[in-house]
Amino acid sequence: MAAEKSSIKIITLIAADGSVFEVEPNIVKEMKTVQSYIDELDQNTVSIPLPNVFGNDLAMIIEYCKKHASEEETKEAKEEFDFEFVKRMKSDDKLRLLQAASYLNMESFLQFMAKAIAAEIENQSVEFVRDYFQIESDFTPEEEAELRKENEWAFK
Amino acid sequence: MKTRRRNYNEDEIKDRLSDLPDCVLLHILSFLSAKESVQTCVLSTRWKNLWKYLPTLTLTSYPQFKTLKGFTNFVSRILSLRDHSTALHTLHFHRHGIVQPHLLQRIIKYAVSQNVQQMCIHVYCDIEHFPPCFFSCQTLTSLTLYVEQPGIFPQRTLFSYSLNMPALTSLTLSFFNFRGGAEPFLACPKLKRLFISDCDVLDKQNLYISSTTLVDLTIHCYPWNEIKFSLCTPSLCSFTFRGNPVQKLCESNNNLSSIKYLNIHVRMGSNFAETSLVLLNWLQEVATIKSLTISSTTLHILSLARDILKVEFPFFCNLKSLKVNKKWSRNSFIPDGIVKYLLRKSPLAEFEFIDHSREGLLGW
Repeated sequence: MAAEKSSIKIITLIAADGSVFEVEPNIVKEMKTVQSYIDELDQNTVSIPLPNVFGNDLAMIIEYCKKHASEEETKEAKEEFDFEFVKRMKSDDKLRLLQAASYLNMESFLQFMAKAIAAEIENQSVEFVRDYFQIESDFTPEEEAELRKENEWAFK
Repeated sequence: MKTRRRNYNEDEIKDRLSDLPDCVLLHILSFLSAKESVQTCVLSTRWKNLWKYLPTLTLTSYPQFKTLKGFTNFVSRILSLRDHSTALHTLHFHRHGIVQPHLLQRIIKYAVSQNVQQMCIHVYCDIEHFPPCFFSCQTLTSLTLYVEQPGIFPQRTLFSYSLNMPALTSLTLSFFNFRGGAEPFLACPKLKRLFISDCDVLDKQNLYISSTTLVDLTIHCYPWNEIKFSLCTPSLCSFTFRGNPVQKLCESNNNLSSIKYLNIHVRMGSNFAETSLVLLNWLQEVATIKSLTISSTTLHILSLARDILKVEFPFFCNLKSLKVNKKWSRNSFIPDGIVKYLLRKSPLAEFEFIDHSREGLLGW
């Protein structure tokens, strides 16, 4: 198996909007969805369509993977990168990247995005969270009042 | 259900979040306090019972709860109502004010019975109130323990236990007194990382840190409290120390050639000559290091040792990286010539000055 993998030199990822990214095999190791696809193949070049991920998002994910896969970068440099990476994103970007991380089955990037999203809803009201996730409540006002009463111990 | 437009605009975010599996939503909730997580029950039907499956519980009395009674009630409810077939992976428990023994025992016994892997406990109580099963938890891989002894002033708790935690790899102990001569980590055969913060050893004796697996050790102590310790750690790779060195790192038969990374911040103590000699002794003991990070104050002490005590420094034949860290020192001034002198003693080393102003909070 190891020999098969090492024979693959370049992996081509094709995003939903058709943009093409050529990456080294070690960059996609974190993307389990892509990795399992590669593992099943036995050829030198691989081209993988990712219909659920847009080019801009894929570019960011690859940037993140490159930084974290690098052995030359120190822990501090990676932390600094993470800090700036989140800082330049809007809420919508974070939600889309979370979605992409889930689709690509990326464990640590998913954790990273979940944490970034949690930081946005932390210490906010239920109304804010509902608005943030654009959740349309399917409870009647009476049902919600009943739930609040039932779980009163968590609303004090 | 209302029908929604499915194009690439904000409306789609809603669908995208709704399409995510519950485990992803639980990931997000795991970074919130348990109180906030439970409150998401009113968002929609999907969220109604989601909190019951949280693998991580962060139970912190302040600032989430107006009263400690409310906190106690919350803990009791969440323990009763959560789904017991969902393993409790991580528990953070931090209660301000003296914790009731029954509450502490209930939460710890529950966590141990749920095969908890990570625990962070910060409480104000007599350590005798911890249930015995805690000290021999078989599943725990990471533990952070901060137990303050009730009294007029905050008092360190006597740590007279030998931890019997076969899976433990990471341990942080804050604000404890160890018995002189104790070897508390012998029964943790997988321990890799150890962090001892603001601890003391009784009777002016040694704390023995003996572990064949330990790779990463950090000791922080305050200037007024010098901790005596002796290392028997053949796998130790990285050692970080903040405080005043008072004696040799290890006793005669052991050696510390496994240490590759040394990160050190020594404060200017009352007895400079003694401190600087012990510090030089440490550097002799770890002369095969690859990376040395020192605070500017430490550099100052080394400089005085060279100029006043006329001591010869060891030769760092493997040193590749010499860094001076400003973030731990108030005084960032680097004495003349000391860096050049150190670099002469380390022919392979590259020098770097680090100034993480954003991380300045760590300084004291």
